[in-house]
Amino acid sequence: MCLGIPGKIVRRDDSSGLPMGTVDFGGVRRDVCLAYVDQDVALGDYVIVHVGFAIAKVDESEARRTFAVLQEMSRLDELEWLDELASPSAPP
Amino acid sequence: MKYLTEYRDAAVAQPLIEHIKRAATRPWTLMEVCGGQTHTIVRQGLHDLLDGTIEMIHGPGCPVCVTPLEQIDKALRLAARPDVIFTSFGDMLRVPGSDCDLQQIRARGGSVRVVYSPLDALGIARCNPDREVVFFAVGFETTAPANAMAAWRARELGVVNFSILVSHVTVPPAITAIMEAPGNRVQGFLAAGHVCTVMGWTEYEPIATRYRVPIIVTGFEPVDILEGILLAVRQLEAGRHIVENQYVRSVRRDGTPAARARVEQVFELVDRNWRGIGEIPMSGFRLRPEFAAFDAERKFGLEDIRVNEPPECHAGEVLTGRLKPPQCPAFGTRCTPERPLGAPMVSSEGACAAYYHLARYHRLEPAEAGASP
Repeated sequence: MCLGIPGKIVRRDDSSGLPMGTVDFGGVRRDVCLAYVDQDVALGDYVIVHVGFAIAKVDESEARRTFAVLQEMSRLDELEWLDELASPSAPP
Repeated sequence: MKYLTEYRDAAVAQPLIEHIKRAATRPWTLMEVCGGQTHTIVRQGLHDLLDGTIEMIHGPGCPVCVTPLEQIDKALRLAARPDVIFTSFGDMLRVPGSDCDLQQIRARGGSVRVVYSPLDALGIARCNPDREVVFFAVGFETTAPANAMAAWRARELGVVNFSILVSHVTVPPAITAIMEAPGNRVQGFLAAGHVCTVMGWTEYEPIATRYRVPIIVTGFEPVDILEGILLAVRQLEAGRHIVENQYVRSVRRDGTPAARARVEQVFELVDRNWRGIGEIPMSGFRLRPEFAAFDAERKFGLEDIRVNEPPECHAGEVLTGRLKPPQCPAFGTRCTPERPLGAPMVSSEGACAAYYHLARYHRLEPAEAGASP
């Protein structure tokens, strides 16, 4: 469960006082906290995301390649949790 | 080459295997401490391909698997309370406690919800001010910054009905414990790539020096792991013992400083029990006193619960490399992913589950091929 999954930042939203954003993982989009990489990333950048937090920036080709390998190895567990996710209706 | 042919980089992997075999003048024993790497090694058959040259021992690298029974029992007790909404990552739901698991608590009417992020759990707390919301904060250093942020935000926003049940462990003390254990056979380590993405690798440098053991920060893809093994073998053959970084595309020496800083603000080091292994000094986190209001064990008076491990599960021997999963008398019979005796059979990153699925996969393969139209 320590596996991070690469995705693309498609939206940023700092209105809650916490740097947040939407990250696209091969078509699946999730709200992600960008606080730990805030200074390094901009809209359109790729990040490694673990349990809803971006932990590192990666370049696009590396992100695409890693995502394909994860898909191939059926290692997208975190995204599979989405199947039975609770939906928090307020932003944290 | 049976399994690797399914992998897109097989053409890169095959020469690496030859390099490793050429570099090794004698057999070497290495340990990976990362469930993701264990999954790759077993699933892609890397341990078989290197048989006779490199023995891979699958270390305690799956946070689900090392969560002690007493923490699971505390989670079950909280989840069964009518005033509590219990939130957790998906992979904790089927981990067996002393008499049931979280999924069974839910079936009996307990409010157990799976969340993707600890911030989702905090969001649930804000939407349900009349309920207590508890989040099961399990994980290694990779997950700690996320869980730390949930406590930090809860304090910042003054969310009083939110708390976390902390079961956090850290990798370097486990490596030390393995090197100190009587009869240890491990001669080199692959350190977990995404743990080091957060933490960097400075903590591993004194361990490599003290125990004269190579430690290679390694990714989780087949080629990464083979490269990590090759770097370890070259060091061992040359009599060297330093920390090297195979996973340069993700890991820097100082990790992700902002994440490390938040972890340090929220958590402090504490002795932790590892399932099947026992207590390892200063091997995990607990909330600092400033965050005590968000400590579920304190809030609900669970601090004194102690539970003995069931004797039939040999998880400790598996996690320390003294027993391969198929050698366990319960493997695949009294212990299966459907009816697990211990966590290593539940988690997709557990060594027992990895071997179980591999065996089933290869058994089913011809039948499936025959059945397809």
